[in-house]
Amino acid sequence: MEKIRTIIIEDEAPAREIIKHYLKELDFIDVIAECGDGFSGLKSISVLKPDLVFLDIQMPRLTGIELLEVLTEKPAIIFTTAYDQFALKAFELNAVDYLLKPFPKRRFLDAVNKAADKIRSGTEIPDPGQLLAKKPETAAPVNRIVVRKGNAINLIPVEQVKYVEAQDDYVMIYHSAGKALKQQTMKFYEENLPVNDFVRIHRSYIVRVQEINRIEPYEKDNHVAVLKSGEKLPVSRAGYKHLKEELNF
Amino acid sequence: MKHPVLENRVRMVVWWLVWLFLALGQALIYYYAYGSFVNISILDSGLSLLIYSGIALSLWYPFSFLNKNNTKPFSLVLNLAATGIITIVFWILITKLLLTLILPQQSGFEAYWTATLPYRIGTSVFIFGLIILTYFLFVSLTNLSEKKSREAKLETLVKETELKMLRSQINPHFLFNSLNSVSSLTITDPEKARDMVIKLSEFMRYALSKKDEQPVSLRSELENLRLYLEIEKVRFGDKLSTDEEIDEKCLEIKMPVMILQPLYENAIKHGVYESTECVRITTRVRMVEGYVEFIISNNYDPSPAMRKGTGTGLLNVARRLELFYGNKASIKTTKENGIYTVSLYIPVDYK
Repeated sequence: MEKIRTIIIEDEAPAREIIKHYLKELDFIDVIAECGDGFSGLKSISVLKPDLVFLDIQMPRLTGIELLEVLTEKPAIIFTTAYDQFALKAFELNAVDYLLKPFPKRRFLDAVNKAADKIRSGTEIPDPGQLLAKKPETAAPVNRIVVRKGNAINLIPVEQVKYVEAQDDYVMIYHSAGKALKQQTMKFYEENLPVNDFVRIHRSYIVRVQEINRIEPYEKDNHVAVLKSGEKLPVSRAGYKHLKEELNF
Repeated sequence: MKHPVLENRVRMVVWWLVWLFLALGQALIYYYAYGSFVNISILDSGLSLLIYSGIALSLWYPFSFLNKNNTKPFSLVLNLAATGIITIVFWILITKLLLTLILPQQSGFEAYWTATLPYRIGTSVFIFGLIILTYFLFVSLTNLSEKKSREAKLETLVKETELKMLRSQINPHFLFNSLNSVSSLTITDPEKARDMVIKLSEFMRYALSKKDEQPVSLRSELENLRLYLEIEKVRFGDKLSTDEEIDEKCLEIKMPVMILQPLYENAIKHGVYESTECVRITTRVRMVEGYVEFIISNNYDPSPAMRKGTGTGLLNVARRLELFYGNKASIKTTKENGIYTVSLYIPVDYK
């Protein structure tokens, strides 16, 4: 049987050691790389195209979650984390399983076997099943957005985001240095961008309040928001109401 | 409620002096009313007010009873008026009885009594009013001071609770990641694992056992911080290094427990967690004009897309300093050339 090619992405050496130690006993696993931060992890995944990745969440430069967001071809992922506030999010991102550190060997082996089954059968959808019970704690507000342009990964600080536009299954993020396409929902940004800075003015637009220069009437009942850059964005009736609340007029 | 006069010797003296004064006043009035009988006026006045004083002392009980039962103002006035009438009638009758018993059968007494009776009624009403007023004043002053002490107690309670809340909680990330390191070390280096468990235990014991109000010496704070940093060094290896320069004179200074730890936790969170380079945390402590100066700095990755914290750690430290020292301590942070610095000043004299 072909071996499962595995990468460990984890910033703490002892944490990498224990995974390696457990894996040593499994002859169907072949550890092909170890990485100590998110960027090098992303690079290794892109180059080596592993079957399985052990992914820490809290890491320098790029978190495990952000890394997974920008991966186009996703290997089987097993998250390893010390604290379970990210668990739910992990499953949204189609992880096979997640391990809470420190994890017992049996729990670890279960996760690996689950991943191995999935890899061999080629199924796409993981089973979030029993682990969905726990709600994540209040998620930290988004303060950077990771986007991919070809092979380059960009981190856009939220302060540089001017507005977000819906484009089918994607959103286009307009920021001070250009624009970037990202696979994400408008609802996500409506809920996770800082509420005091951004307003959803339309089904397809979330805009930074400070970017709005003026609001003009447009046809009857409708408005357009004119941005400082001169761009005009449609404002729906509900959006106009949101703006009124936000700006107190 | 205790009796306002009987329980306190000073008040007792004041009480009798006031009555003596009243007696003199009344004697003058009687003398004025009838013109002669100086001796009788003085005797009458002294005796009657001695009696009245006794009645006045016992009036406290019905008064506090009426007052305590939270009756409506109208019925309170009615009750007090009734008490007043009974008191005055009783007092006049008993005075007359005693005077007739004491004084030899003199023809002038009846005339004297008749002439002074209206004044007698007048002064007794006045004195009754005075007594009630005094008692009212006493009760409201007592209530006020009780309320004040209750409020003060509540305030300390709130402050204590707040301190407890602000007291840095042990970061679960730190705890679980450290335990994970231990788990790993048991395989690769059991001796180091044991060492780590001991350090972790010592750190936890210190963090959990100290009371908020109980100041600790800088020496023990620093010892505990070294434990913390050593544990983190096991996790991060070469990525974390530390350096300290401590003025020996400061070591016995007292300070709030675990006030520095969140600053180091921040340095690790924003420095080590977010950087792929080695992060060096330096600590400098020295005495500056009645203050202990702490300069804690670390290098960090200054690229704009670094994740930011919520600032709660730092805010909590600032709030705790305020609760402990009022405005005598200060904390500020600066970022310059990829170096993050926290400067903290606390007064040398604790409280």
